[in-house]
Amino acid sequence: MPEINIANSAGRDALVALESVRSPLKVRWVDEQGRQIESARLLKGPIDRDLDALLARYGELPDVGKALRDGDPEVDLEQTGRLLRNTSRVYVDADRRIVHKAQFWEIVRNPDGSQRERRPRKLLDPNLAGEQPLRWSGVYVRREQACRKFVFSSKVQLRHTNGLTYDFLYGMAKELEEKDCLMLLGAGPKSKEPLILRRGGSPYRGFLEGRTRGDMYALVLHFSDLELKAPQETTPPEAAP
Amino acid sequence: MAKPLVLQLGDRELAFAMNKVDRSRLYGYKEVEALDDQGRRCELATLTADGRTVVGRGGTAFGQLSADGTWRDKGQLRPIDVDGKEIQSVPSSFGAPIKLFETATVDEYLNHNIRLVYQLSTECDRADLDLELARGTIFKFPYSYRGGLEADAGFLLQGDDGNTFFAVGNPTKVDFIGLRQMAMFEDEGELDESELLDFDMI
Repeated sequence: MPEINIANSAGRDALVALESVRSPLKVRWVDEQGRQIESARLLKGPIDRDLDALLARYGELPDVGKALRDGDPEVDLEQTGRLLRNTSRVYVDADRRIVHKAQFWEIVRNPDGSQRERRPRKLLDPNLAGEQPLRWSGVYVRREQACRKFVFSSKVQLRHTNGLTYDFLYGMAKELEEKDCLMLLGAGPKSKEPLILRRGGSPYRGFLEGRTRGDMYALVLHFSDLELKAPQETTPPEAAP
Repeated sequence: MAKPLVLQLGDRELAFAMNKVDRSRLYGYKEVEALDDQGRRCELATLTADGRTVVGRGGTAFGQLSADGTWRDKGQLRPIDVDGKEIQSVPSSFGAPIKLFETATVDEYLNHNIRLVYQLSTECDRADLDLELARGTIFKFPYSYRGGLEADAGFLLQGDDGNTFFAVGNPTKVDFIGLRQMAMFEDEGELDESELLDFDMI
């Protein structure tokens, strides 16, 4: 179960559980007998039967078309229609062979598509459950204002693991509810770094929200990577002559 | 030209153009490039469980199988909701004006995961609507781009910069948690005493 190491406004910290907050399922598909249907991933054709392979084999597109008309070169009778389970992602080179030692680069582009930077890819490590707890930043945004400034694309809930952490999280939820605010939550020594849930995952800004109902609490960590603001009009860079 | 989204406030119909707001348009974007040892670009592919068969882009498909593993065409299936009732399809939100009368609280808005945002603009007189949005009102209505089985939740609100935005999202279920509903970590199993005395652990 994922965890988060977090401190409250008094500087007390604890490691608590994180749970996904999912959208409830709305649509199910059933067959004529009312039985649940399962989606399956199937193999249409391996890489040595795709369009590039057929072009390499037959030459031009019209020749490929002729071959498709006269036979079934795109079908591998042993493979086509197989259910795909336990697959892995690999990289292949221009000759469609698996590459065992690939180098990864990130190309950072501006909104107009022009290149800003090219750098070796760096996979970011998760930072929610490190040795240093996420500090109580004390930076608050009113809830109504937060809705008009940021776009919250996902969220998780914090859950206690024992009686002590129940009091700990309840207190945090109550404090935030009384302020009627979301609190910015950052990582790193100065609490400025974005939050990363899993290795290689996208960074997000975190906003902690608290609600209570009697002796129950809901402490929700909202994730945002987008501000609610109008994009500036950009013109694509001119193509080189 | 894209079809406008027509919203109706009272008796007035307002046709809005939709301008998508996303990270690439605000901040830019990143592309990942994989190169082999000769500096040639590589492409992502799928390796099947046999460790030999490689499937390129476009080489896979999704299908539906019934409980006994037999293939089912989509036309043979029925959509139902979680209670087992058949679902009626919803029309496209661009087929008729959408009446703005239902509003959402901040709690309700925050209970949604927003997956799409558009900036809305119109040449029509929108003073009444702007007044309402400036008060902090968040209008909500079901939204479906092309019609289908289910509609997403649509929210109309004013951004902090004064622009009008339309957010599309899905509701989530935020639970209130009591003392007894604590998270349970997985049982690590009983401790084997022989493991404690195992010195060959280098």
